[in-house]
Amino acid sequence: MKLLRSYYLLCKPNVVYMMLICALVGMLLAEDSVSSISTIIVALLGIALCSGSAAAINQVIDRNADAAMTRTDQRPLPQGELSAFHASSFAFVIGVIGALILYFYINTLTMVLTLASLIGYAFVYTVYLKRATPQNIVIGGLAGAAPPLLGWAAISNTVDPYALLLVLIIFVWTPPHFWALAIYRKDEYAKESIPMLPVTHGVAFTKLQIVLYTIILFIVSVLPYIVLMSGIVYLISAIILSSIFMYYSIKLYLSDDDAIAMKTFNFSIYYIFLIFIALLLDHYLI
Amino acid sequence: MNDIKNLSFFGICLAFVVIALGAWTRLVDAGLGCPDWPGCYGFIVFPTNEAEIALAESRFPMFPYDINKAIPEVVHRYFAAALGLLAIALVYFSFKQSENKNIRAWTIGLLIFICCQGLFGYLTVSLKLLPIIVTGHLFGGFTTLTLFFLIFLKAGNFQILNKMTIPNLKTIAGVALFVLIIQIFLGVWTSTNYASLACADFPTCQGSYLPDMDFKNGFNLNQEVGPNYLYGLLDNPSRVAVHYSHRVSALIVTLVFLILMSKLWFSNAAPLASSLGILLLTQISLGIINVVYVLPLYVAIAHNLVAALLLLTVFLINYLAWKK
Repeated sequence: MKLLRSYYLLCKPNVVYMMLICALVGMLLAEDSVSSISTIIVALLGIALCSGSAAAINQVIDRNADAAMTRTDQRPLPQGELSAFHASSFAFVIGVIGALILYFYINTLTMVLTLASLIGYAFVYTVYLKRATPQNIVIGGLAGAAPPLLGWAAISNTVDPYALLLVLIIFVWTPPHFWALAIYRKDEYAKESIPMLPVTHGVAFTKLQIVLYTIILFIVSVLPYIVLMSGIVYLISAIILSSIFMYYSIKLYLSDDDAIAMKTFNFSIYYIFLIFIALLLDHYLI
Repeated sequence: MNDIKNLSFFGICLAFVVIALGAWTRLVDAGLGCPDWPGCYGFIVFPTNEAEIALAESRFPMFPYDINKAIPEVVHRYFAAALGLLAIALVYFSFKQSENKNIRAWTIGLLIFICCQGLFGYLTVSLKLLPIIVTGHLFGGFTTLTLFFLIFLKAGNFQILNKMTIPNLKTIAGVALFVLIIQIFLGVWTSTNYASLACADFPTCQGSYLPDMDFKNGFNLNQEVGPNYLYGLLDNPSRVAVHYSHRVSALIVTLVFLILMSKLWFSNAAPLASSLGILLLTQISLGIINVVYVLPLYVAIAHNLVAALLLLTVFLINYLAWKK
């Protein structure tokens, strides 16, 4: 039972659930009303297995760095609950099963896009970007932003411009979300010589970047209304949510209290969740 | 030392461009775009206006002029020549700035090799695209690239690489390099014999997993060239044999690479393992796309370039595995 739990934790379930919600929203928005619940469930399963695989690969590669950080030292590999070999094999198997499910039961496009984001996150981000540049999470965020596109492709078998707009929202949201946490965990990143922005360019500069990104996010978040993808319910929600996010980022910018960084980070999670709920509400209410 | 490092890095990039241009020349069937060497129909660049074209055709009445085939050939030649100048500069700097005899020897070796490569370029034209010469020319290109890379590694003296220790990999790394070179040979042989489309389906070939094949003729290195070898002369079973060998060999390469990758993965060399994996996956995809979508030009060129990247990666792994 403990072993099962270790494998479960290896997949970073919280992150995967968040990605599944984003993918689900992509699926629901792709059509006027749900035409096949089984397609949705099967596609979510495939995407979940691939995302879990990516998370596991990430933990295998980062096992030594994870062991040195209090945020991550409870993970199964640093705890010695799983060996690198078992974790790698597990990641390989669920990744292949996920890809096969998408290929046989959904469509080739979804499989290719899902695998591309798996490779983008597990390999390109973890292996190269993370230690190469303070823009690591900005570029790597593209892989994390993919779920709505995957969901949309699973239903429509196309790369839809509206789906790309959802990707853009997550893409712009990722830097302020992650950097807020990085400010809080700055010393740990510095110890592991991971070039996070607060480590390389200082906390003040990072806070300014967060403010600038929340301004961009404000603009991007109202785009679905402007391009007639969503209606007034979404517009009002987006303006309110983005304003609160900007309020947090400005407060963080003006203050020296690192606790606000953590609050900003926590709000950013609610933000993305609520934005997607708003998209759904708008889609079905109007 | 820094000049050597920067120049050799520029050399790597330029060598990639020259390889791409060479592949382009081959793929648009422009290898005989100029019947003479080093000029093109006796011109320094290539004939452009009507008077020049008339003069060109009077000089080589057997070879009707086609500007679309002259351009790739001439552009390839001049970029390759630039690579030669770069090698001369590298020799100069290795004597002026470095006491390292080792690097001096390699830069001189590189320069001599590039001169031979130019000669091979001349032979491809004068021997009318004899497959073994064209194959040798591409191998020469890949070797030139690898030499620039080696000089870059030696001059750079990179800390990251010095820290990376990969134990007990000599054998498997050596085997990986060997099977990769065989695979590159088969790929080039497929291209120079115009066998890329001999099997138009995948994973089967002509609807069968074991099609009619003639290995003896397909791999006869002393072929008759006839007036020239443009578009190939092999009969169908021979071309299928060449193409099929490239596919089977790809499977062998994949298996060997999987073993190598898993060894690298578990010995804290994940960056090398994932580079190899990503390149291998890309290369297989490009190969399949080449077959299924009837050899799209850019995909075919990319298939060449990724092969070169794979060679450099496997070379780097061997360099690390074998260094003291």
